[in-house]
Amino acid sequence: MRIQYIFSLIFFAFISVSYGQIENLKTHTQMNLDCKKCHICDTPTKANPCLILCPRNKLKVVRHLPEEGPENLTIDKISSDEDLYGPVNFTHKLHSEMSLMSGGCSICHHFNPPGKIVKCSHCHETARDRKDKTKPDLKAAFHRQCMDCHKSWEEKTECESCHSLNSKKIESTVKIKAEKVHPEVKIPQRVIYETDYDEGSVVTYFHNDHSSLFNLECSDCHDQESCANCHAEIRLESIKADPHERCSTCHDTENNCNKCHKSEIARPFDHKIKTGFDIATYHSDLSCAECHKTQNKFSGLKPDCVVCHSTSDGYFNHSITGIKLDETHVEFYCENCHQDKDYSRKPICNECHDDDISFPTSIPGERIK
Amino acid sequence: MAHLHIPTPISKKYFTPGVIILALIAVNGLIFLAGRFLFGIGSVTNLNDQYPWGIWIGLDVAAGVALAAGGFTTAALGHIMHRDKYETIIRPALLTAMLGYTFVAMGVFVDIGRWYYIWHPLVMWNGNSALFEVGICVMMYLTVLYIEFLPMVTERFMGKVNLPGFLSRFNKIVDSILHSLDRGLSKTMFIFIIAGVVLSCLHQSSLGTLMIIAGPKMHPLWQTPILPLLFLLSAFSVGFPMVIMESLTASRSFGLKPELDVLSSLSKFVAPLLGIYLIGKLGDMVIRETFVYLTEFNLVSILFGVEVIIGVIVPLRMFLAPAVRKSPTGLYIASMLVIFGVLMNRFNNFVTAYSPPYAVESYFPSIGEISVTLGFVALEILFYRLFVKIFPVISIPSDKAHIKTKYAIRGAVK
Amino acid sequence: MSQNRREFLKTIAAIGASTAAISSVTPKKTIAKTEPFLSEDRKGVLVDTTVCIGCRKCEWACKGAHGFEQGDFENYQNDEILNVQRRPSTNNLTVVNKYIDEGTRTVKMQCMHCEHPACVSACIVGAISKKENGSVVWDTDMCIGCRYCMVACPFQIPAFEYYKALDPKIVKCDFCIERTSEGKLPACVNICPVEALTYGTRNELIDEAKRRIKNHPDKYFDHVFGEYEVGGTSWLYLADKNLAGNVFPKLGNNTAPGVSESIQHGIFAYFVPPIAVYALLGGIMWLTKEKETKKENK
Repeated sequence: MRIQYIFSLIFFAFISVSYGQIENLKTHTQMNLDCKKCHICDTPTKANPCLILCPRNKLKVVRHLPEEGPENLTIDKISSDEDLYGPVNFTHKLHSEMSLMSGGCSICHHFNPPGKIVKCSHCHETARDRKDKTKPDLKAAFHRQCMDCHKSWEEKTECESCHSLNSKKIESTVKIKAEKVHPEVKIPQRVIYETDYDEGSVVTYFHNDHSSLFNLECSDCHDQESCANCHAEIRLESIKADPHERCSTCHDTENNCNKCHKSEIARPFDHKIKTGFDIATYHSDLSCAECHKTQNKFSGLKPDCVVCHSTSDGYFNHSITGIKLDETHVEFYCENCHQDKDYSRKPICNECHDDDISFPTSIPGERIK
Repeated sequence: MAHLHIPTPISKKYFTPGVIILALIAVNGLIFLAGRFLFGIGSVTNLNDQYPWGIWIGLDVAAGVALAAGGFTTAALGHIMHRDKYETIIRPALLTAMLGYTFVAMGVFVDIGRWYYIWHPLVMWNGNSALFEVGICVMMYLTVLYIEFLPMVTERFMGKVNLPGFLSRFNKIVDSILHSLDRGLSKTMFIFIIAGVVLSCLHQSSLGTLMIIAGPKMHPLWQTPILPLLFLLSAFSVGFPMVIMESLTASRSFGLKPELDVLSSLSKFVAPLLGIYLIGKLGDMVIRETFVYLTEFNLVSILFGVEVIIGVIVPLRMFLAPAVRKSPTGLYIASMLVIFGVLMNRFNNFVTAYSPPYAVESYFPSIGEISVTLGFVALEILFYRLFVKIFPVISIPSDKAHIKTKYAIRGAVK
Repeated sequence: MSQNRREFLKTIAAIGASTAAISSVTPKKTIAKTEPFLSEDRKGVLVDTTVCIGCRKCEWACKGAHGFEQGDFENYQNDEILNVQRRPSTNNLTVVNKYIDEGTRTVKMQCMHCEHPACVSACIVGAISKKENGSVVWDTDMCIGCRYCMVACPFQIPAFEYYKALDPKIVKCDFCIERTSEGKLPACVNICPVEALTYGTRNELIDEAKRRIKNHPDKYFDHVFGEYEVGGTSWLYLADKNLAGNVFPKLGNNTAPGVSESIQHGIFAYFVPPIAVYALLGGIMWLTKEKETKKENK
């Protein structure tokens, strides 16, 4: 369902680019249009609309999992025996795994219409001496794709790192590294940034908190990585230029500077110290969102503790909080004592009792722990 | 006029210690020259792709042409304006110009990579090229100079042709050729004289145009669109000092009395000419505001200062002083300074000012280049000495009756 | 006596002034004199330095196309040489240099094939010519080896075989005129693995360059080097930084031979000035002669 939704969105975007005036998408078949203006094949279907690729005004994104693509490819479309270099064995799966953190499939398969992945040669002509100079020819297109990363990765441009030599008459020096997978990425626990902010130069970033606690994918933040960012001897600053930019999606970086900027390394977030509620014992496996109403603010709790903590007859098992309600109180609705279903606040008793009775001096039942 | 001064071959001994030293310098130069012809220009010079032109062009050619300006300036004064007083200095000036230009041509010959194609500009023309203009004018002017020199040859040998051995049977024919040459030349000489002056004006100025095309590669202190005018003005102003210097040197070398009255009155022209040149040079500097480059104290600004102060302003002041103009020493020093100034100017224009955008090292002439340049100068002096011994060039006092001829270039004796 | 001197000075001043006047005459249509025929679809190359990877394959191919000792192409993969600022030389018509200035870029250098070449204007025998297709080529049979083209070239391109006693040559990129006349691409353009070099008509390349700048304003410095510099060049450069004053010398938009040719044509405007000077001098000569004979007759 979701795929179809995305598909139709992209399709609409494409159509609206080509024919801005056509607003009613459904009826475009009835309009007096030449089908071949947009479709290559005679019978376009929803699954395979076989749209032409040009004009390509906007980047079109296609996304698959690495496993969905081919494992290895031999790129020999432009090579001949007279050439200096032989074809290239391209470890597609390995590269697509690597691309997860740097833009995904679309860094190579740009301008790809929805549906099938089209070949590079579909748009990029093989002849260098050609009419259309607006896009590189196939050879250049391949090289640009590879070199961009390989240059920053290896800092040199040795042809033989990808090509075999025709003249040397030896088997490809490049082994197909089919079984090779990207090594597991080591996730740092915390990163300490030294800033030049006077009132608190140290910003402690708890990487694990952000990734595991908030359920973030690596690529949610790391969408522009290059291999060299991790692998180069001198590591480049991976999250670039303005670090605020990245944090400001969740944190207010305009005010409250000292929330992140401290004079010394901060201690990791501890629910008990911060809120008084120790989640370590029973709630450590839960993600924040499972209890908190809004992911970013963490203010109110969701009123559905009952989802987990219920008695056999479906009511909230209050004993789990450490207080077993007595017979009178067990009949009440939650909000009779917990005003506005806000369980972080003190429960009220003066709805029924005099002011001298209040929590926690008086308890509506007995403490069981 | 107590004596008539009549051009006569000098009968002094050729070899003196000074001449032998010059001969050694010349031979040294020729040895390096042999290296250039055997192994290429690069083996002898410090020229490279950054600095394609060195002192062979800057000094041998550019300065050589400027310093041979005595030829056309005296010709203009003596022949075109008919100042008979200066007749005695015309022939030496002409000889210097002739030798000077011959060695300019030699300088070009050794500097161009394909010396055997030196005739190409005669048949392959590029009217846009300043160098083509210079080349053609120099070739034509050289021819004119040889023609202008011919009367001295006819005068020397007419009626005295005595070829050795079996060639003596041609004595009569050669003599009659000389006679008819003499007759023809005396009627047409004025054409060549005017042509010589026009051609000189043209290529003296075009020599200045040469470096304009180098554009920003040339230091702004020298790079100016009026370079041709400055070159012409400086050529005008160096002509007479050159003649004065030569005359004084020759007199001393041959033990003659310096013709001080002629030289003194000749020297009166120098200061105004030098003044105009200075105005042009400083005026250009003020208008283009290039004086800002003088505030930087470096080799370039020093060389510019030396060129203008020692080479122009100091001698200008000296030539304005009557005391200097009347003393041989004063004249000699002042003239030498003007010559030095123009020499520096040409050197600066072609070598100092030239700084290519991708230069990794600066140019300094190699021993080979300096040797060849000095060798050429030495050869020129040696030839001068030889020619004045063979031909009636230098005027010496004579009791003989002076018969006025139509063009003094032909000399007095018939 | 003093009377005479004043007259003399007057005449000298007259000569000087007339020459000055001649020199300062600047005919406006000098460009037309150099280029009688610049074809509308003359060719050019667009060099996109942001794409160049500095592999020096162009150097290797260039040597092969011009019959130079190519050497093993594997030696070209040593990119330390990029840090040496090399210039095109007698055995290498093109070089790739690395420039570091707020980022790194590799830039291929060769003859720019100016629209109004200084070398063509300068050459004493007209051995260098601008061809209809835009290339500036050198004729071995005419050249006298004076090296004035090297003095004139604003990009310091022509090289000379200083160590040859006989037939030394002026050497520079000839835009692969032999290959292009056979319908092939220039060797460097053909081999470039990333198509940093695009060959096409100059007009089309300028459009393409501007299209790239417009589409990627963050990637390119908004200037096509060579569009107007020294009156335009056949080779055009795109870069992330201003190349003028760093990779290339700072050059104005006036044609390199402009001033020189103006003066040259001023002095030689249909031979009028020289003939005028000739007539003037002849007149002076005749007049002073008259005076002299009169004086003598008295």
